[in-house]
Amino acid sequence: MASTEDKAANKENVSSWKDSIYNPRTGELLGRTASSWALILLFYLVFYCFLAGMFALTMWVMLLTLDDYVPRYRDRVPEPGLVIRPNSLDITFNKSDSKNYRTYVNHLESFLQRYNDSMQENNADCIPGEYYMQDGGEMTKKVCPFRRTSLSLCSGLSDTDFGYQEGKPCVLLKMNRIIGLKPIGDPYINCTVKKDHPVQMHYFPSEGRIDKMYFPYYGKKAHENYMQPLVAVKLLLTKEDYNKELAVECRVEGTNLRNNDERDKFLGRVTFRVKVVE
Amino acid sequence: MGNDRSPKKKKGGTKDMDDLKKEVPITEHKMSVEEVCRKFQTDVVQGLTNAKAAEFLLRDGPNALTPPPTTPEWVKFCRQLFGGFSILLWTGAILCFLAYAIQAATEDEPAGDNLYLGIVLTAVVVITGCFSYFQEAKSSKIMESFKNMVPQQALVIREGEKVQINAEEVVAGDLIEVKGGDRIPADIRVTSAHGCKVDNSSLTGESEPQSRSPDCTHDNPLETRNIAFFSTNCVEGTARGIVICTGDRTVMGRIATLTSGLETGKTPIAVEIEHFIHIITGVAVFLGVTFFILAIILGYTWLEAVIFLIGIIVANVPEGLLATVTVCLTLTAKRMAKKNCLVKNLEAVETLGSTSTICSDKTGTLTQNRMTVAHMWFDNQIHEADTTEDQSGAAFDKSSVTWLSLSRVAALCNRAQFKAGQDSVAILKRDVAGDASESALLKCIELSCGSVRMMRDKNKKVAEIPFNSTNKYQLSIHETEDPNDNRYLLVMKGAPERILDRCSTIMLQGKEQPMDEEMKEAFQNAYMELGGLGERVLGFCHLLLPEDQYPKGFAFDTDDVNFQTDNLCFVGLMSMIDPPRAAVPDAVGKCRSAGIKVIMVTGDHPITAKAIAKGVGIISEGNETVEDIAARLNIPVSQVNPRDAKACVIHGSDLKDLSQDQMDDILRNHTEIVFARTSPQQKLIIVEGCQRLGAIVAVTGDGVNDSPALKKADIGVAMGISGSDVSKQAADMILLDDNFASIVTGVEEGRLIFDNLKKSIAYTLTSNIPEITPFLFFIIVNIPLPLGTITILCIDLGTDMVPAISLAYEAAESDIMKRQPRNPSRDKLVNERLISIAYGQIGMIQALGGFFAYFVILAENGFLPSQLVGIRLNWDDRSLNDLEDSYGQQWTYEQRKIVEFTCHTAFFVSIVVVQWADLIICKTRRNSVFQQGMRNKILIFGLFEETALAAFLSYCPGMDVALRMYPLKPTWWFCAFPYSFLIFVYDEARKLILRRNPGGEHTIDRWSTFAQAPHIFHLFLPPVIPSSAKHISRCPAPLKTKSALKQFSSQLPQRLKTAKAPLQLSTSTCPLSPHLL
Repeated sequence: MASTEDKAANKENVSSWKDSIYNPRTGELLGRTASSWALILLFYLVFYCFLAGMFALTMWVMLLTLDDYVPRYRDRVPEPGLVIRPNSLDITFNKSDSKNYRTYVNHLESFLQRYNDSMQENNADCIPGEYYMQDGGEMTKKVCPFRRTSLSLCSGLSDTDFGYQEGKPCVLLKMNRIIGLKPIGDPYINCTVKKDHPVQMHYFPSEGRIDKMYFPYYGKKAHENYMQPLVAVKLLLTKEDYNKELAVECRVEGTNLRNNDERDKFLGRVTFRVKVVE
Repeated sequence: MGNDRSPKKKKGGTKDMDDLKKEVPITEHKMSVEEVCRKFQTDVVQGLTNAKAAEFLLRDGPNALTPPPTTPEWVKFCRQLFGGFSILLWTGAILCFLAYAIQAATEDEPAGDNLYLGIVLTAVVVITGCFSYFQEAKSSKIMESFKNMVPQQALVIREGEKVQINAEEVVAGDLIEVKGGDRIPADIRVTSAHGCKVDNSSLTGESEPQSRSPDCTHDNPLETRNIAFFSTNCVEGTARGIVICTGDRTVMGRIATLTSGLETGKTPIAVEIEHFIHIITGVAVFLGVTFFILAIILGYTWLEAVIFLIGIIVANVPEGLLATVTVCLTLTAKRMAKKNCLVKNLEAVETLGSTSTICSDKTGTLTQNRMTVAHMWFDNQIHEADTTEDQSGAAFDKSSVTWLSLSRVAALCNRAQFKAGQDSVAILKRDVAGDASESALLKCIELSCGSVRMMRDKNKKVAEIPFNSTNKYQLSIHETEDPNDNRYLLVMKGAPERILDRCSTIMLQGKEQPMDEEMKEAFQNAYMELGGLGERVLGFCHLLLPEDQYPKGFAFDTDDVNFQTDNLCFVGLMSMIDPPRAAVPDAVGKCRSAGIKVIMVTGDHPITAKAIAKGVGIISEGNETVEDIAARLNIPVSQVNPRDAKACVIHGSDLKDLSQDQMDDILRNHTEIVFARTSPQQKLIIVEGCQRLGAIVAVTGDGVNDSPALKKADIGVAMGISGSDVSKQAADMILLDDNFASIVTGVEEGRLIFDNLKKSIAYTLTSNIPEITPFLFFIIVNIPLPLGTITILCIDLGTDMVPAISLAYEAAESDIMKRQPRNPSRDKLVNERLISIAYGQIGMIQALGGFFAYFVILAENGFLPSQLVGIRLNWDDRSLNDLEDSYGQQWTYEQRKIVEFTCHTAFFVSIVVVQWADLIICKTRRNSVFQQGMRNKILIFGLFEETALAAFLSYCPGMDVALRMYPLKPTWWFCAFPYSFLIFVYDEARKLILRRNPGGEHTIDRWSTFAQAPHIFHLFLPPVIPSSAKHISRCPAPLKTKSALKQFSSQLPQRLKTAKAPLQLSTSTCPLSPHLL
């Protein structure tokens, strides 16, 4: 008896590593039989299904508590950021090569499609200089028009190249949409170039003003066709500005909105570079 | 030249070790003095010439032991710095720096994140490394108490002149003189001796001093009288001898070299931790590499893929866990130190808990190491003396007149006396000048009859013949107490048969009666019985010399005996033994019920060893050895089936003739084993034999002879009071009170810490899943990152630490001393079941809790879950500053990052919340929390501490800059509550099923289908082992005993061939062992 046991033990030692993967005598795969594995898999399947169900339930309850129109907390976006179009912080092009700046022009053109006058026939006429308050009443809010023509030279209507061909590029600026934001004062955009002598700039609408009638914003669902106000800046570059990288900084001025945050370099301001190659 | 042995040693380490394991090769004791002189070119009178001595010194090197090699401190430090998980974390840190370098080279404004993370990771590795190093250094300081054991001076005779030289300069061939109190400077062949006695106890384990003389009395050099050994003590007398071995070549030196040359295996806990590190590293590397490749395939840049890799590594490695383990072990070590177990090596804390065999030395460990009178035979009756340490035992009848006579003889015919100035000390604790048996008698009489000195003063000694080996008796003549009685009293003691020969009468109830055959037989029976108890028996007789022949003033001549020394009156027998300590039998019993086999290994005689073994329960009542069975059935030993005997006593000389297989058979088939007359080498072989059978062996001992076994054992336990320095040096643990019972405490603490470490690790590992899954979803589903690397470190090194440590304070769930020791090959610290529960079940629930908090925060801030999938590319684009949320608002990069970091904080807080539940469920393995209670105050403190820390990290001003953690709205704390609750309920349900189905894993057929359902729920229960699995060999002992003994295998005694009894089944509890019910 003892000797057989000894032998068995011996055998086990010899083939143990093979057995640990597949043991032909017991039909164990990785130390378990197929039925054992199946039970374990079944258990985990049921368990994970249950967990998924529980997760789905809690998520569903959570989503039920949410409002469709306004997010519960808006304290993480108290102030708007400022962004430019074309969507690049490094605008470099060769003014004599149309292929070179085509992407910018196309981008601006497509961006301004929404602002075509034809698209805005349904919009209400608002009183400029005043907030367009629509609290109460219908859930769907009316939209103030912003016409492309108000961008004049930078509208792409008269100059389809947005000044890129002549080396005096247009840049569009917009303030981020924030629900319920009502800037105090008269917001306008002011750009400066960090350079020894100032570069002439032309703002559209005049003085880079953003009219208060576009505020407040009521959110995507209520304010479906909301027209975000734009400001266009035409950099009137001269010959000596070519082939140089110009750092342009634009800020929202004339309001309580922050434009000098230490951490967030895009809060109420934006810095981009322009380089025109001749 | 120098030490010509060392190069050979380096060449063939193992071969040399085997040489050392063989018996001592000394042959000088069989040579005549002249031959020895010739061999060493010395002179028995003049000694060596100075020139020769110088030459030999140059040839053999100084007479000193090579100190054991020590690992340099910086190597130890580097081991801590680069061992364990450190390599993985270093990889992470280097990748961080690399990523930062690439960023710095390619981007104008590189983000500092990677540099920051790299520095943090480096700091983590260095700090945990330093922590472990200092912990280790603290515990190894105890080792430094090892003193130099080489004597300072030796008296040698060179060129006929006695010179006092430094013992290191003694060379082979030197003629040396030693006297009482000296330490023997080298192994010497005695050439002349005067009453010389040496204390060999540290070498052989014999408790009484041995006399030395020039005659060869035994073939075995360890037992012959004419060799005295290096570093033993000369107790009394003087001797002169020729040095035959010096330094490392002495018997002691060989043992010391053997000890320091032994490679000790890793401690069981170290093996477990390594196993666990392998698993975790495996998972980390597998996941890291998989997702690295996946990221590349998905079109991420190399840089991003590397950053993912870092994240996965950081999430996978439980950074704080090794520190937690160290702290837990330290706490236990401190607790054990309070209970008189001093642990030298932290990892040894747990080893006692997994011990399955204890090989215990007898002298000093199981016994009091003090000869004590155990029995007396007078009035034809055996009386039992009290041998307990505190005199709490039963007293015998002291009223008999015979006892008075016997005590008088024992007190007078006795040269031992108490050393001065000990009147306030308890009698048993007093120091005595004199030999062991005489002191035993002295203490016995002092205890029962009052001051021996007064008795001696009243009975003035007139003449004396001291004990010598030819007479085998000791005799003295005294005046009587009664001043009117002018007779002299002759008292004699000695070997009982010699005393009997000199007696014609015997005292019974105070009356002299003729010694008839009946009495002689009674005497024989008593003598045999006491001898059979392993006790040293002495006979006592006296005679009042007739006044007419020996008048007052008679000149007794002791050299040429001119008085009557026969026809004396026999008074009685007294027998002495080194009695077991009071606490030992109980401790042995506890070990046995804890499934630990206790083996006695001693240098003492088999009979004594067996008697003590029976006394302390190592051989339990009713168990017989082969010899006992043979005696009972009155048949020859060879006819007894060895399988009938559970117990056995094996003599060292038999052991020498056993092959490895026979040795294994003995160890396997006998539950109660006593090895007697063993040499240090044999002790080592026994330990190796046990280890070969897969046992985790603890060895206790105090002598130098025990030290190789102490070192080789998985845990060596030395005695703090009586232990020699060498043994303390070799041991892992020191019993400060020399009490074997303290080992039981050690076993209990060791088992508890193993259980609790399991809980700690389960707790810590669980939070790995909620740490890894965010990364995986980030990469695969392209959502904003739910949990950052810094927050992961905050969990691993911050909030998880105190709760994990607090689990070390958990009380045991059941009686841990009633279960079998764990089987190192099957009961792992971290096994697939623990991983399955921690990762597959609880961890998953935790991850869901975290993700829920994450989705809640994003949704409440405007990003609904449906929008998040695939948003990552835009989300992490720095130049995109008008990302639109589900409500049409537009977010700058920085604004949405603040939301993201708020999510990290919320995810982190959620992990803390679900870890509350995890901590509570990890408290117990099968009991409900309601059964176990919340009595662990440290654990409750841990709950509050982690919560407070989480709140601090979230709300402390400045954290947004330092760790990018943001204040949470109070409601966000509650997101994970349902999941926390779910964890608790789920695990309570699981434990309920476990308690209802105690079968499962415990059925013998562990793979049967019925076992499966509960099987899944079993995470870290110690399964009761099907007995056949008990002896799966763990690993071959690294040092195979050299089969120089193989030549004997042809003469295999028949009884051993048939001795392949079934594996022992008896000690393992039945599948449904009580502690599980």
